[in-house]
Amino acid sequence: MAKPNRNLRNFCIIAHIDHGKSTIADRIMELTGQVSKRDMEEQLLDSMDIERERGITIKLAPVRMYYTALDGQEYEFNLIDTPGHVDFTYEVSRSLAACEGALLVVDATQGVEAQTLANVYLALENDLEIVPVINKIDLQSARIEEAKQEIEEVIGLDCEGCPCVSAKEGTNIRDILEAVVRQIPPPDGDTDAPLKALIFDSYYDNYKGVILFVRLKDGSVKVGDKIKAALSEKTYDVTEVGAFAPFLQPKESLQAGEVGYIAASIKSIEDVAVGDTVISALFPDTAPLPGYKKVQPVVFCGIYPLDGSKFLDLKEAILKLKLNDASLIFEPDNSVALGFGFRCGFLGLLHMEIIQERIEREFNLDIITTAPSVSYLVHKTDGTQFYVDNPSHLPPISEIDYMEEPIVKAEIYSPPDYLGSIMDLCQDKRGVFKDMTYLDARRVKLEYRLPLNEIVYDFFDELKSRTRGYASFDYEIAGYERSKLVRMDILLNGEICDALSIIVHEDRAYGRGRTLCENLRDAIPRQLFEIPVQAAIGGKIIARETVKAVRKDVLAKCYGGDITRKKKLLEKQKEGKKRMRQIGTVEVPSEVFMQILKTNKD
Amino acid sequence: MPGIYLHIPFCKHKCTYCDFTSFPDKLSFAEAYMACLYKEIEMRGEQLKKETIDTVYFGGGTPSVIDPSYIYGAMKQIKKCFNLSKNPEITIEMNPGTVSEQKIALYKKAGINRFSVGLQTAIDEQLRDLGRIHTAHEYLYCATLLKGENFSADVMLGLKGQTKEDVRKTIELAALSGASHISMYALTPEDGTPIYTDYLNGELPDGDEVRELYDYGYELLKKHGYHRYEVSNFAKKGKESRHNLNYWRRGEYIGLGVSASSFFYEKRFTNTFDLDEYMKCILSGFLPVIESETVEKEDAKFEFVMLALRTVYGISSKKYKEAFGSDWRDDFKDAYQKTREYLTEEGDITRIKDEYLYVQNQILTEYMNG
Repeated sequence: MAKPNRNLRNFCIIAHIDHGKSTIADRIMELTGQVSKRDMEEQLLDSMDIERERGITIKLAPVRMYYTALDGQEYEFNLIDTPGHVDFTYEVSRSLAACEGALLVVDATQGVEAQTLANVYLALENDLEIVPVINKIDLQSARIEEAKQEIEEVIGLDCEGCPCVSAKEGTNIRDILEAVVRQIPPPDGDTDAPLKALIFDSYYDNYKGVILFVRLKDGSVKVGDKIKAALSEKTYDVTEVGAFAPFLQPKESLQAGEVGYIAASIKSIEDVAVGDTVISALFPDTAPLPGYKKVQPVVFCGIYPLDGSKFLDLKEAILKLKLNDASLIFEPDNSVALGFGFRCGFLGLLHMEIIQERIEREFNLDIITTAPSVSYLVHKTDGTQFYVDNPSHLPPISEIDYMEEPIVKAEIYSPPDYLGSIMDLCQDKRGVFKDMTYLDARRVKLEYRLPLNEIVYDFFDELKSRTRGYASFDYEIAGYERSKLVRMDILLNGEICDALSIIVHEDRAYGRGRTLCENLRDAIPRQLFEIPVQAAIGGKIIARETVKAVRKDVLAKCYGGDITRKKKLLEKQKEGKKRMRQIGTVEVPSEVFMQILKTNKD
Repeated sequence: MPGIYLHIPFCKHKCTYCDFTSFPDKLSFAEAYMACLYKEIEMRGEQLKKETIDTVYFGGGTPSVIDPSYIYGAMKQIKKCFNLSKNPEITIEMNPGTVSEQKIALYKKAGINRFSVGLQTAIDEQLRDLGRIHTAHEYLYCATLLKGENFSADVMLGLKGQTKEDVRKTIELAALSGASHISMYALTPEDGTPIYTDYLNGELPDGDEVRELYDYGYELLKKHGYHRYEVSNFAKKGKESRHNLNYWRRGEYIGLGVSASSFFYEKRFTNTFDLDEYMKCILSGFLPVIESETVEKEDAKFEFVMLALRTVYGISSKKYKEAFGSDWRDDFKDAYQKTREYLTEEGDITRIKDEYLYVQNQILTEYMNG
């Protein structure tokens, strides 16, 4: 039995959003000469436009580096970047499975955050060695010792002599690399055993087919090898293997312990799933590695092309995104108001927003998104039960015995000053108080049970605004509970618009109906006729507003010099109309479908 | 038969809503400018001498601010270079603050037979707000001088603090002073004009309020015997502006002077907006055109519909067919179906129902292609 390379280190970085993870990754690459400073774009790993604009990481991006340590030996590093947001825990767990260790980056001015904790616990479950790194020591408000103390108290990690750095200014970055060499173990495995490689990510390349991101546990793989995907049982000939440098760099072979990619002319993105194991076709009975915990989407919405004829383009876009994002689920859907589209499931609201944005930007498609919903368990009077996430699929009231809704266990971390307003908010959102713990003089942990459907609206935004951004929030699904839920329909000009229906708690229906009608009244432009906007439950109207008919829309003067100008004005007006969707007799701007999200008037 | 428009880019003081090309501080250039204008008349005359001209219109600026002999000279030049119809309509715009008996006498001698007087409002405070140089009383003096003549008064809606009562006073002043034609315009705050600030600060009446004033004014005008023949134009029977009707029938016109627009031989073009450049061009023997586009057939069809629907005469299927060889209902099938309920049809004529004339952009956008 041959052991993998003793000088190999596979690790990832765990950090809260904006604690400086990407900057640290950049500095490490810079120091190992992976990227010359001159060529380096800021935050190289965050390569999607959206990632850069929002300053967040969504996709895993691995990179290989070489480092000559103080002991004189050269080490090979594989750094796997990870997302920091709670919605992307799934992606994190995938990158963790490919590593032996993790850097835990903590902002010296902020301390440990709730979301970071969740990922640290995941890493510990995966038996990863965790190296704490204190960042942003250059800031005036840095509290290095307090941050260390917090890590020791909250997580139980020894911070004696841990790297304290400023990624921004490039201070003490070498300390991180030395800690990686010293503290993170080299990979285990057997290079002589049959191939066993975990697929932790993939994407579709127009020329090479599907590119699999793999971590070899046992054996080796080279060009020409016949491989097999253990779960799908499909076999392929390997056309290319290589490392991430950080762009694809072909090499002769990959060995046990290494991180790299495999291309094998895989045509369909659905043939080889992320989480599956690549084995050798010569040893087809090799037992696969344990896959990932299957993630369940918790937030659902309908996505439709603004222009109904673009349905196939939308399908293509969603299929392509699915390849890079195993957590996205979808099925074809059909709405009376919006025509053909997809019902999609997401890990959370941020995930949903990102997918929407990517469809619009990367595929240049205008889409309409319906309000997010969660999955309800419906018990019918005939004794049958089933899950419904699309309000328009709910059976008539008379056939429903009762319904259950998903409940989450929420943990909110905040300075004590905001306790009152957080509790008010949770109360508003039908939350049930469970526990409160003072972590230290500056931090309180609140535990609540909250209905998920209250969280998918504006809970997070509200929490941030009520605590001036200080509170952080994490949640996990804690099962289903019986609840008084009803479907509220919206009628535009007397016709139900199914894409606007929502499921709400009975006690909230009147309030929600009123605000919703008001928001819609303001969002729907005035047209040639008066448009009643009504909210109804089971045929009974509970709220009404009116979009008044337009009274003046004319160019007062149109003489010789005005004709060309007038045509241009009308063209502009026509452009605006193109952004609208005809629902029955009413023209509705695509943003209207998200108006449901707003519970307050802005 | 084409019309001629002549632009006189001078005035005493720029009104707060004005975004026309007009130079209050360059009145001393009038003589040189008019010499250039005569030259341009001659240049266009050579090009278009076969055409019979049915209407002439002096607009501005304030044409009445310059020495009336220049207007007389321009008319003389037009008669020399073009072929005028037997009974042409010749209009001049006047600001009540710039008129005199002698001026009007000379205009009449030049052949001018229609006057367009900028009253705007009978409320002096509002006139001051607009930066107008005259009072309501001066308007009345002007109207007295025009007694028995064919003249029009301009009235504005949507002024700061304007009430129905104000509109009533204004329309009554115009009507009782003998105007045979009244143009009632909604103020359009253009970016870059002083009044745009008022608009941005919400100090002007909104669309709904303007519509209230318009409907009120409309009824009052009807009562005084003025019928609406276009969105903003009302006239006693037979006193409609022929020059303007020509625009809405998509007729040809020759625009002369700085910033003037022309349309003939299916081409639209515009002269330079720069006074110096205009004069330099003319003196060097060039036409001062800066923009020119040929109107494609599809575009022309839309223009026809867009302009015709401004008027109560609407679209004539026959005239449309004469112009394009097709049926307009076929050419705009979807739009026609979609907007049918807002149209009224009588024989050959289709027009927008009265109550929708003031929201016509909503209808017209359906007729744009793409």
